[in-house]
Amino acid sequence: MSLIKTIWGLLFRLFPCPTRVGLRRVGDPKRDSPVLVTCNFDLTVKRLKRILERAGLDAWLLVADSKGVNVWCAAGGDEFDTRSVVSVVKTSGVADEVDHRTLILPPLGGPGICAAHVKEETGWSTRWGPVRAGDLPRYLLEGNKRDEVMKRVTYNWRERLDTALGSIFPFYLLGALGFLIFGRSLFVDYLIVGAAMFLFLFLACPWLPGDRGLTKILIPEAVLMGLLIAGELLSGQAGFGFRADLIIAMVLLALFSVELGGTASTMRSEFDPFLARLGIGAAGNLAWAGTVRTELLNGYRDLTCFPELCNGCRRCYEICPIGVWEMDGEKRAVSTHLESCTACRACLVQCPTNAIQAVARETQPTAIPSPGA
Amino acid sequence: MFSYMFMKILEMRPRSYDRRINKAVGGRVTAMKQAVVAEVPQGVRVLEIGCGTGELAEMMLDRATSVEGFDVSGTMIQVARERIESGNLQDRMKVRRMGVEGMDRLESGIFGSVVSTLVFSELTDDERRYALNHAFRVLAPGGRLVIADEVRPRTKGRGFAQAIVRGVMLMSVYLVSGVITRPIADLRGEVLAAGFEVENEERSHGDAVAMVVARRPTEGAKT
Repeated sequence: MSLIKTIWGLLFRLFPCPTRVGLRRVGDPKRDSPVLVTCNFDLTVKRLKRILERAGLDAWLLVADSKGVNVWCAAGGDEFDTRSVVSVVKTSGVADEVDHRTLILPPLGGPGICAAHVKEETGWSTRWGPVRAGDLPRYLLEGNKRDEVMKRVTYNWRERLDTALGSIFPFYLLGALGFLIFGRSLFVDYLIVGAAMFLFLFLACPWLPGDRGLTKILIPEAVLMGLLIAGELLSGQAGFGFRADLIIAMVLLALFSVELGGTASTMRSEFDPFLARLGIGAAGNLAWAGTVRTELLNGYRDLTCFPELCNGCRRCYEICPIGVWEMDGEKRAVSTHLESCTACRACLVQCPTNAIQAVARETQPTAIPSPGA
Repeated sequence: MFSYMFMKILEMRPRSYDRRINKAVGGRVTAMKQAVVAEVPQGVRVLEIGCGTGELAEMMLDRATSVEGFDVSGTMIQVARERIESGNLQDRMKVRRMGVEGMDRLESGIFGSVVSTLVFSELTDDERRYALNHAFRVLAPGGRLVIADEVRPRTKGRGFAQAIVRGVMLMSVYLVSGVITRPIADLRGEVLAAGFEVENEERSHGDAVAMVVARRPTEGAKT
């Protein structure tokens, strides 16, 4: 069962894979051992445990309810939030097991968990841990200190394959089913070409020119098209299989690229802002038009820091997974490369003075109390 | 992003929530709610855990003097507030947005009855224990607890049937409602563990829904 859940978590990350919520022991935790908060996505909890156990560390793992979804997606989708953390702190009995009152929170939960509210409602202090679970041993051994590397997301080839596999596999499988039923002669071709296009796109994507999925595939698509035309010209009899393989490759490449940005926490999502621009703002019970995130991505709002409200607390600098915020000479937050902002909203949620706002174009700051206030 | 589209837990449209749910199960929710109302003592102050759109709370006003409800969903609470407004029920019915983790803020011993339907199966094990302990605390001695929820059937055959049906339904229910429920293995046992005396347990829907009626003992505090 455990293995099935691991495989499900790897291949079907679009769907939840919940594990038991509550307090867990890793190693032999004592009354002064750290309390690490995480989501209840099965694979995340397994990986965390493995990393800590391999490093020989003792810790309390406080698994909060994120509806079985990973930290980043659940926080973005309002499923892993302040309430999830407050609930597990109050109902798990963790306070009876440790003498200290400090929670180490996953920073990719920043769009959902308001650290100030957690403190207010539970009395527990909070610290942000490292972005990558792999850095946890170093973080804990160095006295809960985060260096710059631990604050920001990366998207190396292993992470790319890992996250992309989880998002694309269900669609790949659907396609395979389609070929199995309607085009069995091309079934094996589809499997091989599909896997090849997947590997190509996600291994090569940092080096492909363009700033989004659909521009990044222009050159590869042109090459494939060139091959197709060349095949036709050179031998009018170019095999059916060869032609079909190229067409499958072109179509799959285009499909895989549609939401390239959405597979990574380092890139801007493109698909739902694009639908919103087309006027498609909702499907069934889901709505994305009109959300702060979509409006930021579509440029209807600008992420702005009003220096007169900023108290220089650096929370935005600490939480932004990209590193959009810097502190200027006056210790006020300034955005240095807003173009790479993924609109995750973590800075908006954590800012205690409401200095950072998603301002609709051409308006002045308002005195709305922020969630972090 | 695809992940957002799929993973964002879908909220049922709250305004049609009661109607849709009821339709989906052939009107049996209304029947269940009526059964719950019948267990509420006359003339008491009632707390409803997870009041949703406030439909049951309003029904309970036939017997209770007042009903206070809370729910974790802001959209549900909005609909409940509209219900209060349109029914002019401000004096007798109050709702607030809160999860069970906020129950420690409620005053002790002030309710004559605590009621909850189809909420416990959405809670974690710890949350259920916490909610039951606080339900015990906020009830006056002799006060009545009424819980109706999805439970695991007592016989293996029915348990197997439930597992099959759930296996088929799980993904579609998730996509439509965004809710993942888990049938409670031993609701009666959990109620007993919180210090209650169980007065009655009724099963329906092929043994898969239980209504547990329990009482906070009049003498002897929970140890």
